[in-house]
Amino acid sequence: MVAIIETEKLTKSYGSHRGIVDVDLVVEQGEVFGFLGPNGAGKTTTIRVLLDLIRPTSGKASVFGIETTVDPVAIHRRIGYLPGEFTLYDRMTGGDTLEYFANLRGGVDLAYQASLIERFDLDPSRKFKEYSKGNKQKVGLVAALQHKPDLLVLDEPTAGLDPLVQQTFFAVLREAVGEGRTVFLSSHVLSEAEKSCDRVAIIREGRIVMVDRVDALRDLAAHQVELRFVGPVQAAEFEKIPGVTGVVAEDHVLRMHVTGPIAPVVKAAARFELADFVSREPSLEETFLAQYSEPAR
Amino acid sequence: MTADATPARMRMPARHVRPWSRVYGLGSIYAKTMRDSRLSFIVMAGLLGGVMFVVGAAIPQVFASSSAREDIVRMAHDLGSVAAGVAGKPVNVGTLGGYISWKYGPVFLIIASLWSILALSSTLAGEAQRGSLEFVAVSPFGKRRIAFEKLAAHLTVMTLVLVIMAFAGWLTAALFGKLPEDAIPPQAAVGFALWIGLVALVFGGLALVLSPFIGRGPAAGIAGAALFAGWILNGYAATVPAFRIPADLTPWAWTNNHVPLGGEYDWGSLAFTAVIAIVLLAVGLEAFVRRDLGASMSIRTPNTPRALRGLGGPLSRSFSERLPVAISWAIGLGIFGLAMAGASRSLADSFGNSPDLQKTFDTIFPNFNVATAGGLLQLLISLAFIVVGFAASTLVSGWASDESSGRLEMLLSTPLARSRWAISSGLGVYGAIVVMTVIMAVAIGIGAMSAGSDAITPMVGTTTLGLYAAALAGVGFAVGGWRTSVAAESVALLVVVMYLIDLIVPALQLPDWIHQLALTAHLGQPMVGVWDPAGVVACIALAAGGLLIGGWGMRSRDVAR
Repeated sequence: MVAIIETEKLTKSYGSHRGIVDVDLVVEQGEVFGFLGPNGAGKTTTIRVLLDLIRPTSGKASVFGIETTVDPVAIHRRIGYLPGEFTLYDRMTGGDTLEYFANLRGGVDLAYQASLIERFDLDPSRKFKEYSKGNKQKVGLVAALQHKPDLLVLDEPTAGLDPLVQQTFFAVLREAVGEGRTVFLSSHVLSEAEKSCDRVAIIREGRIVMVDRVDALRDLAAHQVELRFVGPVQAAEFEKIPGVTGVVAEDHVLRMHVTGPIAPVVKAAARFELADFVSREPSLEETFLAQYSEPAR
Repeated sequence: MTADATPARMRMPARHVRPWSRVYGLGSIYAKTMRDSRLSFIVMAGLLGGVMFVVGAAIPQVFASSSAREDIVRMAHDLGSVAAGVAGKPVNVGTLGGYISWKYGPVFLIIASLWSILALSSTLAGEAQRGSLEFVAVSPFGKRRIAFEKLAAHLTVMTLVLVIMAFAGWLTAALFGKLPEDAIPPQAAVGFALWIGLVALVFGGLALVLSPFIGRGPAAGIAGAALFAGWILNGYAATVPAFRIPADLTPWAWTNNHVPLGGEYDWGSLAFTAVIAIVLLAVGLEAFVRRDLGASMSIRTPNTPRALRGLGGPLSRSFSERLPVAISWAIGLGIFGLAMAGASRSLADSFGNSPDLQKTFDTIFPNFNVATAGGLLQLLISLAFIVVGFAASTLVSGWASDESSGRLEMLLSTPLARSRWAISSGLGVYGAIVVMTVIMAVAIGIGAMSAGSDAITPMVGTTTLGLYAAALAGVGFAVGGWRTSVAAESVALLVVVMYLIDLIVPALQLPDWIHQLALTAHLGQPMVGVWDPAGVVACIALAAGGLLIGGWGMRSRDVAR
């Protein structure tokens, strides 16, 4: 696979304030890469370094194989960017704003621009200052998408959007990925990352603490397992299995947390007369919270 | 089975609010508004009180003798109608108070009114539009109380400022008055302050009434337009009879005969003005209470012609964004230039017929021949340099707003290099300065023609104002290359420093090299056709060099959010 974004020990400090530290990332072509972390973790700082809006203190970052500080304009030519917070020209209409950004890119496919405006249900005739928060976000989204960029860098893209427009947004993302384009999506809404991302990175206090596929990350958190037996069962039989914790016995029911492979639990349960077996997959949110419940390294 | 749906009342720990915090600080809405007004209090007290004191100190020194005072009286009465229209009513102008009232009265009133308009249009509507008022509105107070406390805070700050101005007037006359009639009694000082305050509140009240309906900006615009229209209509009603009826609708006309510093009182007109101000403030307060929070009717304005929308790139966008501001400055400066050019001949004739007055001015302004229309126009237009400088500062502020408001981040995510943004948008500012200069030149030309003077020379001479503005903007761009957040402030500071050098160095007879530090000392006297090539080259170098430095600076630093 072709690496679209690559960072190597990327560090940015703001004097005494921490920015990001030794961030190593690889985002491959055609994937939706989620960048997760709470407020102030360093998501936006990383994005701004990738776009050469700020310069790294040390380390380096490349986008499309071009080092960000060497030729940012060549990178910008192929990206679409939606900042987490932005303002545009208050006195300009949404339509004029989109036309201006299209002109800055040397023109766009007007039919595609019109289709995006229609799909996002945006009234382009109103002045920017008259838009609600959600409609301003739509203008930003269309500006980022209208030129069909090879890489979409989206910082909290669904903020302020209603659920229907969110659905449209994710449909547009899927289409983009289907065409081989890449999405780098920063978010702290874990459910949307879970349903839209192929891989996610979790950043904490400026450092990447985990990068993996969404389903692999889920495996890291404990499954909640409930075993219902026909007769009484000794809890001790299960407590000694590696990865099993928090075993609670209640009548003929055993509840436990299982981290890692679940096969040993299944084998142990098979030695008794099992009436029911329920295992609930951990959500990404549980994985995320599990990461954050551990002290920072 | 029934359930009690009433939530248990939580006992919150009592937090003692200190009495002083309820007056100033964070203990009440009134106190918070007072706290937010501290900068405007300092600025306004400095402007109104400081100008009153300085002007009061200077006038008796400049016009020390009885004969000089007689010359002033003659000049005030012989003044051409163009210039007389923008001055106050000439009552006892041979006295310190009368002179202040005649020459500076409208300036005091305009400054105070603009302050009141801006404060009262933004204190409620501006905060409502920003959304911050919603947090206050959901606190356990009624909207009426919120509005009343905010209004009360503005009235308190205005009262304090006016007390300082009145005291400064009385004090400066007591300390520096040369002739017995220079004394400004407390009654006159208070009468003048009341006039300023009440008229200002009428215009501020108008903005307060309109703002819940049409929003902060349009309300301030309409009230500001009423202020200036009233000034012009009332000033020229004697010359243009058609102005009389609309002029009579404004407090300028109601209080025309109230000139307390000149010894003429009309308390009845002041009482009427007070009633109108109270009615407007009450209606504005009630409108805020009854209207939906933050809701305003949008005023449909004609669509901007496509060519002026500025969608082609950063240059045209910057030009389009800056154009309204540049035109606003140009209209203000144009009116000033029109009046000055129109009055230059009659004023110069007055100086020519009064050797004593001419001698006085020759001492203060040795480089200007005030006995000629062109020389006097040059002197008068010199005052425009400070205004043009502030115009450049606001244009640079607009240029910098791309970054300070967060737009630049999106702009630079397009294939637009940082230096190209800085230089192209800077060129857009220069384009706006060109438009501003052309409008000023036309206005000055019309004024000069109306006075029967040569129009071409001063029109071409107006180019120096544009060059000076461009040079200052260039400095702003250079600073902006390092940090846009201080670019406009740097320009404003430079303007003030150069103005002070111009003002103080000749008056205090300081070494000439100090005066040469000011760019304004190198601009010649283009209103009489005398150009200084060094100054022109310096302006062009600053404009071009500053822009290039700004572009270079932008390349190598982080973009702020």
